[in-house]
Amino acid sequence: MGDQIARAEEFEKKAEKKLGGWGLFGSKYEDAADLFDKAANAFKLAKSWDQAGAVYVKLANCHLKLDSKHEAANAYADAAHCYKKTNTKESISCLEQSVNIFLDIGRLNMSARYYKEIAELYEQEQNLEQSIVYYERAADLFQSEEVTTSANQCKQKIAQFAAQIEHSRLCVDCILLDQVLIIYEEIARHSLNNNLLKYGVKGHLLNAGICQLCKGDVVAISNALERYQELDPTFSGTREYKLLADLATAVDEEDLVKFTDAIKEFDSMTQLDAWKTTLLLRVKESLKAKELEEDDLT
Amino acid sequence: MSEIFEGYERKYCELSDNLSKKCSAANLLDGEQKKQKISEIKIGLDEADALIRKMDLEARALQPNVKAVLLAKLREYKSDLNNLKTEVKRIASTNLNQAARDELLEAGMADTLTVSRNQKDRLLMSTEKLNNSSNRIRDSRKVMLETEELGVSLLQDLHGQRQSLLNANNTMHGVDDNISRSKRVITNMSRRMNRNKWLIGSIITVLVIAIIVVLYFKLSK
Repeated sequence: MGDQIARAEEFEKKAEKKLGGWGLFGSKYEDAADLFDKAANAFKLAKSWDQAGAVYVKLANCHLKLDSKHEAANAYADAAHCYKKTNTKESISCLEQSVNIFLDIGRLNMSARYYKEIAELYEQEQNLEQSIVYYERAADLFQSEEVTTSANQCKQKIAQFAAQIEHSRLCVDCILLDQVLIIYEEIARHSLNNNLLKYGVKGHLLNAGICQLCKGDVVAISNALERYQELDPTFSGTREYKLLADLATAVDEEDLVKFTDAIKEFDSMTQLDAWKTTLLLRVKESLKAKELEEDDLT
Repeated sequence: MSEIFEGYERKYCELSDNLSKKCSAANLLDGEQKKQKISEIKIGLDEADALIRKMDLEARALQPNVKAVLLAKLREYKSDLNNLKTEVKRIASTNLNQAARDELLEAGMADTLTVSRNQKDRLLMSTEKLNNSSNRIRDSRKVMLETEELGVSLLQDLHGQRQSLLNANNTMHGVDDNISRSKRVITNMSRRMNRNKWLIGSIITVLVIAIIVVLYFKLSK
């Protein structure tokens, strides 16, 4: 693709010249923007992402001078997509600039979507805390635009990561668990009204129940189970409810064998995903610790 | 890795059941239909052979403790397959004498697939069939649950798409309004442009006429 690169560099040089010289009727910025666009396109075809990203950033600057904010924000977003393939930090900074411009214009929908993209990039880099921050912002914006599905999706991701972070910090932070719990219960309540989403309710209630177990308050668990039954009458017939009830009784009686048996039975039908396994492992360890404590006392 | 093996195993079990049914069916038929059935059975036997060979390779590739168990199972299956082959040979023989001879000689071999007069064998066979069917039911239940989960996620996606479609619809209405407004503005602009053109044209003609008149008077004086 050598010729594409050559073409692209030619376009870029022409555009730079236009910017440097005196244009007639002040149309130099528009012409330069046009040439930059062609140059960036050619770079993309030649798969040289860094150069394409750089040219897109220049394009965005041109548009800003032309006061067409929408175009500028789009150009920043294109730059970020090019950088995604090579340099994540540049990509994130471009996306942030784009988001700021969109917020200025008032296109909350687009800015929320780009916040979500930033959060996903952080997720790929395993920077879970930043990722949570951005997912929260995205969820807020989605909520204000009444796009509840995307908001729910973002909140679910937040809940997932919040639980994972705690595991790596090796401490049980009740406040964060409470937030996660509230998120899941809200999602479940909202999904009940919707014909399309109501089949997913039991999954959400199961997650909420597992959070309750993590907190370790036995009375709260049984109250919560009752509440979930009130919310969703069909919940008590499901395997998820049976699992939660068994786990609750096992934690109550501090019976490790019963706990493991209940989990094994559920797992033989449907595999437990990583998030649930992490949390349940934590509950099991706390149970073991309690048993050891009792042994010490006796 | 053993999932591949289990997949092959399932296929082999289905195939062997199928073949034994076809054997008993072929026994009752005669002539042309019998030959057809026999050729079908032979094809099935080849498939079963290939499956067993694949299972063998799979089993050898796994860990030694699992390997031992799987190889034992494999030996059972091989003996089943051999029994099926002898059965087919017996059926294929149209010579009554030959068939009777085979039956005589066969009675001496331990044959788990033919109907044995021993009640214990029959009980063992039926418990094994029950186990097989309960395994299959459990597997199908697992598949059903997976499908259900898939369906739930599909529905969630659909919900999201529904919302974006509604959003797009609303935006379209907004765009529609904006377009009609801009159309009005542009027609205004074009009207004004036309009016200005006529105005300037008339002023130019008036000026030209004035110049001609002045020149005429100047030159005629």
